Amino acid sequence: MDANGLYQFVYGIALWLMQVIAWPFNNLLGWESVGGWFVSPGVVDFLTTLLAALIVFFVGFLISITFIWQERKTLGRLMDRRGTQVGFLGLFQNFADGLKTFIKEHIIPDEVDKQLFNLAPVLLIAMSCLMMCLIPLGPAFYLANLPAGLLVVFAVFSLAPFAILMAGWSSNNKYTVMGGMRAAAQLIAYEVPILLSVAAVVVLAGSLNFFDIVAVQQDTVWFIIPLIIGFIVFLISAIAEVERIPFDLPEAEAELVEGWMTEYGGFRWGLIMLSEYVRGFAASGLIVLLFLGGWDGPSFIWPEIWTMLKMFMVFGLFIWIRGALFRVTTKQILSLGWTKLMPLALVNLGIAIALKMGGWF
Amino acid sequence: MAEHKAPKKRLKPVGILLRPMAVVARETIRTTVNKPNTIQYPWERLVIPDGYRGRPGLVMDKCIGCHMCEKICPTTCIEMVEVELPDKGKVERPQVNLGRCMMCGYCAEVCPKNAMLVTPEYELAEFTRQDLIYDPFRLQYEDRPGLHVDVYEATPAMVKQGLYGVDRKTGKEIRDYPEVADAKCIGCSKCEKVCPADAVQMYEKGKNEKGKPIKRPKFDPEKCVGCEQCLDNCPKDAISMKEVK
Repeated sequence: MDANGLYQFVYGIALWLMQVIAWPFNNLLGWESVGGWFVSPGVVDFLTTLLAALIVFFVGFLISITFIWQERKTLGRLMDRRGTQVGFLGLFQNFADGLKTFIKEHIIPDEVDKQLFNLAPVLLIAMSCLMMCLIPLGPAFYLANLPAGLLVVFAVFSLAPFAILMAGWSSNNKYTVMGGMRAAAQLIAYEVPILLSVAAVVVLAGSLNFFDIVAVQQDTVWFIIPLIIGFIVFLISAIAEVERIPFDLPEAEAELVEGWMTEYGGFRWGLIMLSEYVRGFAASGLIVLLFLGGWDGPSFIWPEIWTMLKMFMVFGLFIWIRGALFRVTTKQILSLGWTKLMPLALVNLGIAIALKMGGWF
Repeated sequence: MAEHKAPKKRLKPVGILLRPMAVVARETIRTTVNKPNTIQYPWERLVIPDGYRGRPGLVMDKCIGCHMCEKICPTTCIEMVEVELPDKGKVERPQVNLGRCMMCGYCAEVCPKNAMLVTPEYELAEFTRQDLIYDPFRLQYEDRPGLHVDVYEATPAMVKQGLYGVDRKTGKEIRDYPEVADAKCIGCSKCEKVCPADAVQMYEKGKNEKGKPIKRPKFDPEKCVGCEQCLDNCPKDAISMKEVK
């Protein structure tokens, strides 16, 4: 663990808090054993984990909410209208909408498989929020620094379509089933190119740890320069993975009513929508960390701010693509994934191996 | 069953990817530098042009109570009601039910004295249906030139000559005006009483065998507005409209 990390910072706060709580037990009541239990490493560690998880969740949550705001505002300008209006620059519109979904009636249709129907959004949101703590925003702001963090992130990233398939199947509705099936097909088609393009990054960096990857980029160049093909492949595949508009077949509004989330309403629907943007947060975070140098930047502002700025720029690119392009068909999406992106990713991997063998990295 | 084969089309990246992206980027920059097209309604309003058809308005002094607006109204939302005016006494003036009004502006178009207007008022929500019925006093509106509707009937040949509904020889406005069938008329002088424009004058044609005068109406084309009140009130259907040729 980093000595300056978020965990250490929160640990100090938790220890102080526990000492405050333990003080009357030690000095007034004289129950030394109870006071000692409060400041024991296990209790403080538990509290620290809880607090740090909460902080990371709220930061990720706020960034995701801001992504929604950014999308609504940019799409508004792009369609010659104003976008959200509530509050300063329309920043509070999403909170108002969240409140609205929260107070709506919770309807479970009669014919659904109730256990799976209730489990699917929980799984989806859990999968999305798990990525928040695996993606570091800066050298100090992270929750878990795993040696093979990249692998874990991609494992979690690929799990969400299973929850989608589950939701589609349990809703007992032809549109939801079709949406879920399309999500699965899309996942299989795009999982391979995305992993191949990541493999090139791993080859260059020589590590599966985000901190090592960013350190290598700080030492040499951002990986977007040698691996521009991989960047494009990763960008397209990431849009397909988070099911944004050129590739939003699982929830094609024109053909399948609302896709796999047709039967969900109220706060579940709100959380599902939020989880989509949390996945967008994860995708743009991965692009920033793997290709755009992570928190690398001039040091007059905090590195975390650099990461976030780059994430907002990448998400702006997502919005631009969403505003400009039309939805592809099922056949086109699969043929694009297997026949175009896959060879490109292989070429990219070859370039990475050549660069590594040539000794430039 | 014949196998359906989709036509093979090569997707050209410039056409389907780069051009839409460029168009969208240009549009975004344009709307960011300038203001977006949206008008934020309660705070900002559109400039209303002349002749905008909002609710009908009435100029009480000009109105002669000729019933023409009531007759033309497609939704029959205009009703003539009796009102007490200080200078004219009891007269009939239009009352408009805005719950039925479709803002077509026909009443302002047919009004011979431009007493019915089209007003720029469009915020007409009320809490009850009763409130939507505008009596003649509530219907009143300021009289200014932009609110009049002046449409003349004209044939294409007239339009070519620059004559819109004006007689070529006399220079007078062309409109239908009534004539009386002498054999049917009983000389009751009801048309004189109902005429809102004082265009009917009774004259003595002669004397009958009992020595009483035979009265017949005479229509003044200068004053007549063509409202057909005399037609409607004639007890013997002696009056008919002479159509424009």
